[in-house]
Amino acid sequence: MKTVDALGTWCPVPIHLIDRAITTVAPGDDVVLLADDPLIEVDLPAWCHDTGHELMALHHDSGGYRAVVRCRSGRVATT
Amino acid sequence: MVEDNPGAYLDHAAATTLDPRVRAAMAPFVDAAFGSPESLHDWARRPAEALEHARTQVGALIGADPEGVIFTAGDTEARNLAVKGIVAANAHRGAHIVTSSVEHPATLAACRTLARDRAELTTVGVDATGHIDPVQLAAAVRDDTVLVTICHGQAEIGTVQNVATLVAAVRARKPDVTIHVDAGVTAGVVPINVTAWDCDAATIGGGSMGGPRWAGALWVREGTRLHPLIEGGLQEGGKRGGAHDMPGIVGLGEAARLAAIEIDTRSAHMTALADRLIHRLLAVDDVRLNGPSMGRVPGHVQVSAGRVEGETLVLTLAAKGVAASPGSACSAAGKASPVLEAIGLEPPWTHSAILFTLAPTTTETQIDFAATAFADAVASLRAMSPLGSDA
Repeated sequence: MKTVDALGTWCPVPIHLIDRAITTVAPGDDVVLLADDPLIEVDLPAWCHDTGHELMALHHDSGGYRAVVRCRSGRVATT
Repeated sequence: MVEDNPGAYLDHAAATTLDPRVRAAMAPFVDAAFGSPESLHDWARRPAEALEHARTQVGALIGADPEGVIFTAGDTEARNLAVKGIVAANAHRGAHIVTSSVEHPATLAACRTLARDRAELTTVGVDATGHIDPVQLAAAVRDDTVLVTICHGQAEIGTVQNVATLVAAVRARKPDVTIHVDAGVTAGVVPINVTAWDCDAATIGGGSMGGPRWAGALWVREGTRLHPLIEGGLQEGGKRGGAHDMPGIVGLGEAARLAAIEIDTRSAHMTALADRLIHRLLAVDDVRLNGPSMGRVPGHVQVSAGRVEGETLVLTLAAKGVAASPGSACSAAGKASPVLEAIGLEPPWTHSAILFTLAPTTTETQIDFAATAFADAVASLRAMSPLGSDA
């Protein structure tokens, strides 16, 4: 499973990084996003809504956020 | 100008010439291929391809997956990124760092900066030849240790550590601790395989391999938590913001490719010449070799000359056409090199050290020229010394 390490970066970098990474996986595959910017709680669901990718999980612990996003199809342009 | 100087330039650790083949590879990227690899138009294509090609070349030199390679502006930045970035990203696990007393000043400074804030630092000593004891290193690791950072090759006395043994000892104590290895002095002249080492991060620089010394890289194993040091962009997966130095990165990649092919030849050449230099230097009365006699970084020679002050010796040699470096960290302030103190040297040996660093282009003629100049300089300085020539 592809992992995008966005630890230590701030909005909008985590979203840009997963937007790039999702283009490299097949439809139905999952991408893990690691981040510690709290805005990910807002940005990631919004990005998934805009692009059609599916937010499978978004957990937070002392080490930050771990999200799983399922690729809906190939690249879908971010609006 | 070095090229106009008929003497011997033996200060390649400070600055060295660019391999002409590396320079040729870099040239298009200061000219026609000027585009940003991050752009979306056609001008980005060649730089973008070159960027990933360089990543592959650097990864191949050190036995690493290329995706883990983060390009930096030299090895000093890579050391800072490793230390500060790993500790910051693992703050929830602890704030204890373990390092050795013979690390590069950049590593030690980064560790001390963190210790000044909230981290705790344990510095492990070394033996008389600069080797870290794996048992001592592992014993320093605690449950809250988040980073162990050790050097592969020591920049002053040339000691090459047995990294695999050190890493294995640390892993036996705490399997999930992040381990960074500083290979900034050894990349391209000593074989490196980060996979065999089982480390999590490694620093390399262009200078040791005939590349641009202002280019470097930090490799991190997938899953290693790292915060960026320089923020503000998507470059290098967000781990190193700022415009890519495309000429430097391409040069580093080409230097890595050439080094991977020529490493045995380069190492043998520099080791033979260093041995020749050591033999000649030790023939001078009251001169000692600092660091191990075997297993040194190829081309690194540091000696201390009794009854001679190191910086004065360097200046005297410079007047004779020989370029070297004083071995003392801050001789003007009367301070000894921490590395020399770590191996147990005391004054006056700590203040009389001189470092010669060779390159694959160094010749026997230059070695003999430098050795003769060294003997003459030591004799003349001792003749002027208030301690007398045979004190």
